[in-house]
Amino acid sequence: MREKTVYTLGLIGSLILLYNLFTVFMVLPDEAMQGAIYRILFIHVPAAFAAWILYTVALVGSVMFLVKKDFAYDSMATSCIEVATMFTLVNLVTGSIWGRVMWGIWWAWDVRLTSQLICFLLYLGYLLLRPAVNEPTQRATMSAILSIFAFVDIPIVFMAIRWHDARTQHPAPVLETGGLAPEFKGPFWLGVLSFILISGAMVLVRLHQENTRREMDSVRREVHAL
Amino acid sequence: MDQINLRFLFYGYSAAWLIVIAYVILLVRRGQKMDKELTRLKNLVDERKN
Amino acid sequence: MNYGLSAAWSIAWKDLRTELRTKESLNAAVSFSLVVLVLFSFAFDLGREELRSIAGGLLWMVFLFASALIVNRGFSRELPNDCLDVLVASPVPGWSIFLGKAIAGFVLIMMVELISLPVFGIFYNIHWDGAFWMIVFVAAIATWGIAVVGSVFSAVTVNVRLRELMLPVILYPILIPLLLGAMQLTGALLNRESIFGDNNAWLRLLIAFDLIYTSLALFLIDFILVV
Repeated sequence: MREKTVYTLGLIGSLILLYNLFTVFMVLPDEAMQGAIYRILFIHVPAAFAAWILYTVALVGSVMFLVKKDFAYDSMATSCIEVATMFTLVNLVTGSIWGRVMWGIWWAWDVRLTSQLICFLLYLGYLLLRPAVNEPTQRATMSAILSIFAFVDIPIVFMAIRWHDARTQHPAPVLETGGLAPEFKGPFWLGVLSFILISGAMVLVRLHQENTRREMDSVRREVHAL
Repeated sequence: MDQINLRFLFYGYSAAWLIVIAYVILLVRRGQKMDKELTRLKNLVDERKN
Repeated sequence: MNYGLSAAWSIAWKDLRTELRTKESLNAAVSFSLVVLVLFSFAFDLGREELRSIAGGLLWMVFLFASALIVNRGFSRELPNDCLDVLVASPVPGWSIFLGKAIAGFVLIMMVELISLPVFGIFYNIHWDGAFWMIVFVAAIATWGIAVVGSVFSAVTVNVRLRELMLPVILYPILIPLLLGAMQLTGALLNRESIFGDNNAWLRLLIAFDLIYTSLALFLIDFILVV
């Protein structure tokens, strides 16, 4: 059942992605200002959206773990954060390559870039710290606290950097302005959908591994007891 | 301009796919390793029980 | 409530007394910040005008590194002889243990800052012109934030392997907005600007940071200290 869900999600996601790639490369015209490079948008932004959704799910999982003390929530939070961090990296790297063409530089200390980078570093810290605790309850508690603090920190970072330097060259965000040409809207949201489906499949795989790890721990204890 | 544009578009997409594929490979290999370890442990338990 | 506060106070007092008796982390932090101040003078060869523009950032880098040393000890000080377990098992509520630790950390970091600030002024030829106590005021607000967040992570990472190395990995990124505000305000003060006019937003950011994380920490601490 679990494997079927993973394969179904992954397959549907990949099919939509392929279809979308075809539209993006073969059907859509070059954008007037940016030329061909604007096509990075169709993986750059969906990666960010998928990551943010997963971080939010992870926050809910972390809070639920603290309330219910059920390790399933801890597994959920970790799985989501790992996949989300990977997508944040995709977002950063594609953005950097886009910036190299449009701005002539790999990196600008701009609000969006910087806060996304700090977000990446925070959750990377989470993933690095987690294996350093052996006792499962302590590990889960620590992870939950870190996840909550990191999530609360991002908006503050964003505000602080915006006050620091409000100038931004980053194109207006799609959600705030809706400033996307109508013919780009369909492929854009399809891209978001495919990324969400694929990331869902990845989270499920990762979740299964967390369960295997817990099973391994209990079997290990049994081995020691014998 | 267009040439550079296309080249960096290629870099962008390749980088994204490389990261995703690397992660998937990591995921699969870790899963296989864990499954192997789990069966080994289970066999160990069975051995000791007998 | 009153009981919790007085318990917090006695825990803070206990920590301060043990620290002042041995001066372990205090000595380390003070000498560390002095060394870094000297190192910075080699790293940047600065004229007066250039110095003004980066002094705020420089000072806060020193304070941040020094406070990581102090905050690190906060809860791990209780590890030998299982003092932490006893502390948690005692009838004192969790939030007052945390508050006590945060207060002790705050006082110790402030001590380090009050020692290194005049030294900074001497080494870098700063003319304070009355800005000194305003900088201390800003430092106090920012330091409370560092002490609170630092104590939370000190409590959370008590059982982490290589704690001293791991704590900064998560602590520094979280503190970025706070540091940004503190750097801006300190830089403004060194340039003889007011911190209430245009820079009001930064002051509000610092206070908001303190309020958000203090309440979050007091709310979450009961989940952390159940161990």
